[in-house]
Amino acid sequence: MSRISDGRGADPTADSARDPDPVRDRETDGDPLLAVRDLRTVFRTERETIHAVDGVSFDIYEGETVGLVGESGSGKSVTARSILGLVDEPGSIDGGSIRFRGDDLTDGLWREHRGDISIVFQDPSGSLNPVYTVGNQIREALKIHQGLRGSAARERAVELLEAVGIPDAPRRVSEYPHQLSGGMQQRAVIAVALACDPDLLVCDEPTTALDVTIQAQILDLLADLQREEGLAILFITHDMGVIEEATDRVNVIYAGEVVERAPTAELFDAPAHPYTRALLESIPGRSGPGERLPTIEGEVPTPTEPATHCRFAPRCPHAAPDCERVHPEPVAVGSASADHTAACLLHDDEFDIEAGAAYGGGDAPDAAGADDAGGRE
Amino acid sequence: MAHEERTSGSTVLPTGAPGAVWVALGVGLFALEAGAFANFVVGFLADVLATLSAPGVGALAAVERAAASVPTLLSRETIPNAGYWNGRRWVDTFLGLRPGVAWALRVALVYAYAFAVAGWAVLGYRLYRREYRTAAWTPRDDVVDRFRSHGWGVFGLVVVFMFVVMAVFAPALGPTTVDKNMRNSYSNEISYWNAETEQVDTTLVGDANLASQSSGDTDRVLPGQYDDFGRYHPFGTLPTGRDLFTFLAVGSRISLVIGVLSVGLSASIATSLALAAAYYKGRADLGMVLLSDAIMAMPQLLLLIMLTTVLDDTWIDGVYSGGFVLALIFAGTGWTYMWRSVRGPALQVSERQWIDAAKSFGQKPSVVMRRHILPYITGYLLVYGSMTLGGAIIAIAGLSFLGLGVAPPTPEWGRAVNLGQDYVTTGSWHVSLIPGILITLVVTGFNALGDGVRDAIDPQSDSASGAAAGRGGGA
Repeated sequence: MSRISDGRGADPTADSARDPDPVRDRETDGDPLLAVRDLRTVFRTERETIHAVDGVSFDIYEGETVGLVGESGSGKSVTARSILGLVDEPGSIDGGSIRFRGDDLTDGLWREHRGDISIVFQDPSGSLNPVYTVGNQIREALKIHQGLRGSAARERAVELLEAVGIPDAPRRVSEYPHQLSGGMQQRAVIAVALACDPDLLVCDEPTTALDVTIQAQILDLLADLQREEGLAILFITHDMGVIEEATDRVNVIYAGEVVERAPTAELFDAPAHPYTRALLESIPGRSGPGERLPTIEGEVPTPTEPATHCRFAPRCPHAAPDCERVHPEPVAVGSASADHTAACLLHDDEFDIEAGAAYGGGDAPDAAGADDAGGRE
Repeated sequence: MAHEERTSGSTVLPTGAPGAVWVALGVGLFALEAGAFANFVVGFLADVLATLSAPGVGALAAVERAAASVPTLLSRETIPNAGYWNGRRWVDTFLGLRPGVAWALRVALVYAYAFAVAGWAVLGYRLYRREYRTAAWTPRDDVVDRFRSHGWGVFGLVVVFMFVVMAVFAPALGPTTVDKNMRNSYSNEISYWNAETEQVDTTLVGDANLASQSSGDTDRVLPGQYDDFGRYHPFGTLPTGRDLFTFLAVGSRISLVIGVLSVGLSASIATSLALAAAYYKGRADLGMVLLSDAIMAMPQLLLLIMLTTVLDDTWIDGVYSGGFVLALIFAGTGWTYMWRSVRGPALQVSERQWIDAAKSFGQKPSVVMRRHILPYITGYLLVYGSMTLGGAIIAIAGLSFLGLGVAPPTPEWGRAVNLGQDYVTTGSWHVSLIPGILITLVVTGFNALGDGVRDAIDPQSDSASGAAAGRGGGA
């Protein structure tokens, strides 16, 4: 499983000695609710094998919100679908483990934990079946997970609709999805998800298809529900603004790999990975008035080969020759917090790459980025 | 259009409780035919028990007699057409009418009754739509409206409806019965006016048939004619002297039952396999593609001939005069085409997110298929089912024409064509021509109905150009 083809300096044993568990347990909380370790989901077609999720690891503890952020095509949604066991052919989970309350779901234990993990998809109009009423679809989940039928199920469905903030719930419960607005539909989808009485809610871009004011309402709703029900939430999005508002900890994912992980505040204050910095810079409103909004040139590569180099290197302003040869492992960065890691050779002591030099020669000179990079080393 | 319905509907049922009036109308209509219905149910049960050779046949016979004694308005007994001329007037016919007139009256009443029932059903639907349904509009309303403005489809519906009525009321429609005229013709006597001796004589039906054959230019009884025994033949006689209309009416039952059975079976096979293929995809789907390809590669006709020969004289061949075996063979070879047609839509629906949502909260695969995929392919099933039914009717007729399929004494349309084929160029042209026209008409009707349903279900063919385009597409 050696991910380093080039023997120079960094052999796997040295790596593991330095960082025995890629995700550090937090000191206080004990066992995580969901622990994903080295998850690999591949899609095998006749032409190529796509490593959509390539060694992703992260933890979610009870009652917290963890963000998974990255560009389109970086493997966020496949990660979510892998956690729920919804990967269809030609895709399959090729390695790693997904432990929920200690049970490894990849051993085929999804059936046992159905309802403990619920998912809210991006497009609310797509996740509701248009031929059944909203109440009917909530009752479907209620029947499976809470054994409720008849009028008891109907009452509970109305309660759930009220809980997700749908006004006039007793009437809405017998309406069809097309009779609801987009925001109301997403609330109804969340109600269906809650009907399973989950411990973990996976939100796969739940606000992307909604307009901005509705986005804020849905985020507030999720925060309220989390407070009331003690839900853990895995929040998947490409929107850094949503991440900042909604999450406690963040994993930045790029081409199927987690490149940086940090508590949300620290990530925004002191991003360590060049990709994270570029993402933060490209948030509208962060650059000064009259400046061009910085963008990341190029697109996320489709990982068809096992990683033998830094996949971000072709787009990285700091890329050095070593980046093309060595696959970076997550290393601890930052002084204050123990659970801030970045998979970048800039932060790896065994490699001597000068960030400043690259910035000087690069075409995107940025003072703030240089500051941060300097501060971390 | 909606407004027009509203006003016309309210004039039809101006009372405060339209539902109650509608139910009362329904009960009244049912009461007219309650005897026939009871007869049918009991007779059907007796047939099933006899086939399974289960006990209780004797007890059912008593019930059968009781059911037969329930009066029925539209029966042969209430409006009899079989009688004889006694020199001055017609005896034993309804109100002393001529047999042809009495028969025509009965047929007209049967069809009037059938259309009344259909109208009652339509009225009920409109009433439900206007008074009892909470939603003011559902997508299905548009489907119904599009179908109504689809002339070709409505033509198909009317043809199919009349065919079904013919099959359902076959015993009441024929001027005589299969039992009296064909099966046991030498056990039944009829009275007739002997023109030579100028008196009423009696003879056996079988002998009368021999003297009423249509087998050439001179020996013939053409459609709408009386034979020498005062019997009316709406479609003329067969070369054996039997009544062609009775033969065809009962034959329509066979065609319909075998057709519906085979299409129903192949639709259920096709649906379950398409749902499984769409849900499991991958290898399961590939396996089914291979299986259906293998079945499609077999020459259907040769397979049919082989199986009818192999199964000859087995118990299964005896069920419904061999019709059951035919239905099984048609279903076994015909599901592949329907499976191909619904697999695509099913696969498409299976990609929708609500399927994933249902899987994510642990819904059982069978329920996901039934609840979340099936509703989206029923439209396709309806269209293909209707069109396949026409094909099945042709196939059954074709097999009977070749002397395969339904066993000979049982009337079947294809065999009527076969029986008359030697006389097509003679004066007895009607023997082949009439069943041929009927087969064509019915099959066209089923295809037209399928076209209409397809255009009605597809919202892209909206009513603006719906009628004209539909007719063009259908023709």
